[in-house]
Amino acid sequence: MKNNGNGKKVLNFLGNNSVPILFILICIVCIPVSGFSPSYLINEIVTRMGRNIFLILCLLIPIMAGMGLNFGMTLGAMAAELALILVSDWQIWGIPGVVLAMILSIPFSILLGALCGKILNMAKGREMITSYIISFFMNGVYQLIVLYMMGPIIPIKHTTVKLPRGYGIRNSVDLFHMRQCLDNLMAVRIGGVKVPVLTFLLIGLLCLFIIWFRKTKLGQDMRAVGQDMDVARDAGINVERTRIISIVMSTVLAGFGMVIYLQNMGNIATYSSHSQIGMFCIAALLVGGASVDKASIGNVFLGVILFHTMFIVAPKAGAIITGDSMIGEYFRVFVSYAVITIALIMYETKKRKARSRAGQQLQLAQQEEEAAANE
Amino acid sequence: MSKSRRLVIRICAVLVLVLIAACMMVIGRGHTVYFDNKTLEYDGNTYEAPYKITVIVKDENVAKLYVKERGQATNIGQNFTVSLRVMEEKNGDETTETYSFKLPYSMDGVVVNLPGLMAGLPEEAWISEFVSMIPEPATAEDEEVPSADEFEMDMGDEF
Repeated sequence: MKNNGNGKKVLNFLGNNSVPILFILICIVCIPVSGFSPSYLINEIVTRMGRNIFLILCLLIPIMAGMGLNFGMTLGAMAAELALILVSDWQIWGIPGVVLAMILSIPFSILLGALCGKILNMAKGREMITSYIISFFMNGVYQLIVLYMMGPIIPIKHTTVKLPRGYGIRNSVDLFHMRQCLDNLMAVRIGGVKVPVLTFLLIGLLCLFIIWFRKTKLGQDMRAVGQDMDVARDAGINVERTRIISIVMSTVLAGFGMVIYLQNMGNIATYSSHSQIGMFCIAALLVGGASVDKASIGNVFLGVILFHTMFIVAPKAGAIITGDSMIGEYFRVFVSYAVITIALIMYETKKRKARSRAGQQLQLAQQEEEAAANE
Repeated sequence: MSKSRRLVIRICAVLVLVLIAACMMVIGRGHTVYFDNKTLEYDGNTYEAPYKITVIVKDENVAKLYVKERGQATNIGQNFTVSLRVMEEKNGDETTETYSFKLPYSMDGVVVNLPGLMAGLPEEAWISEFVSMIPEPATAEDEEVPSADEFEMDMGDEF
């Protein structure tokens, strides 16, 4: 009997953590095949952790509020890009440029986040697909602003930013004078690995903020809304307002995260930097073992390490195994989308199972009640 | 918390952010400073360019300028300090002087005439705005704009 119980526990554990376990196996196979040295791998992973964790952490707040994976974080990324384009044109360099871009992104993010939150309140239960489509819609608005309004309406002075035709922004905006300024300030080298201490401090602060926020009144309200909207409403919580706040917070934090991401990259791909960011961040979070309704800071860290290890080693391992590096490229693209699909299917299956179990229990209770009444 | 108190806190938060942003705009303004070792004519006087000037910015040799040569350095903020190691004649002695001056906020590129700076002339004599004379060629890639039905997957190494 005891063995049976233990076996169930192991099966449950495997079932609940199937995605991270699968990725650990992929990494265990691919790392030796790729032939990368440990110091190179660690250096790359640490760099990517600094680049991406802040962005991924912003997904935790909407999950807490029961709004699922916020594909609308792309809006925050767009806000950050708009801010960085302006800061780049105003020639504000270094850390002040990064800080100014973060501050400038706030009003754009609040505006876009509030709009997204309002729309999501009209589409309760379908938040993820709605936010995904909103990000496509806003991408069109973003392109209109960047391609046609920047220059004639929003003053852009420098030819390094502006298209030669006189209006619109170039495909790529150079952030040379801002490049890795956050990462290099206070950076330390440990055994050949560059650790961007300041970036990690910012990430640590955000983690502390999230832990603290969960305990606040608003955080508790969000959790209550996430568990059951009707019960939360009955308890006097303004459900719609709470949901909007969670999306606004997520969008603002995504804007900050995108500024950190782009200062690390050193340039903005004006029309494409934001387009896939939501997908990658969500994939990384899911790889860390999070689900649509439950995610933790630990999931973020584990996800970034596993997902990016796979990202680094897959092309090389694919090239060595098959002789074609494109196989590895396709593999990692396939895995990113597959992991999101699997997570969504697992979430839906679990939800249906729980609903069916609740239905069975209710039926049993009714039968017992009827039997008692008959007696 | 009363509504008016909440409003005051929000206004204060916005003001603090605006203040920080304004500070960042001032202290983070980047300039490219060009140094010219050229003879300067000002007010009917001629200020001859020395044989060689070594330009040192933040303890780093940024340029070694012979007559009619130009060097450059970048600076964040308006306060600029430069040390010049001057050799008047070939194989002559070198003297080092340090100069501090303010860069005009409105200028991205600032051209500093070193003989004028060393002669202690008024600022308008040795500071001018850098204007690029070379028109930037328009490449086909720059003119490309994203198409409306762009659905390709862009998943490079960059992520």
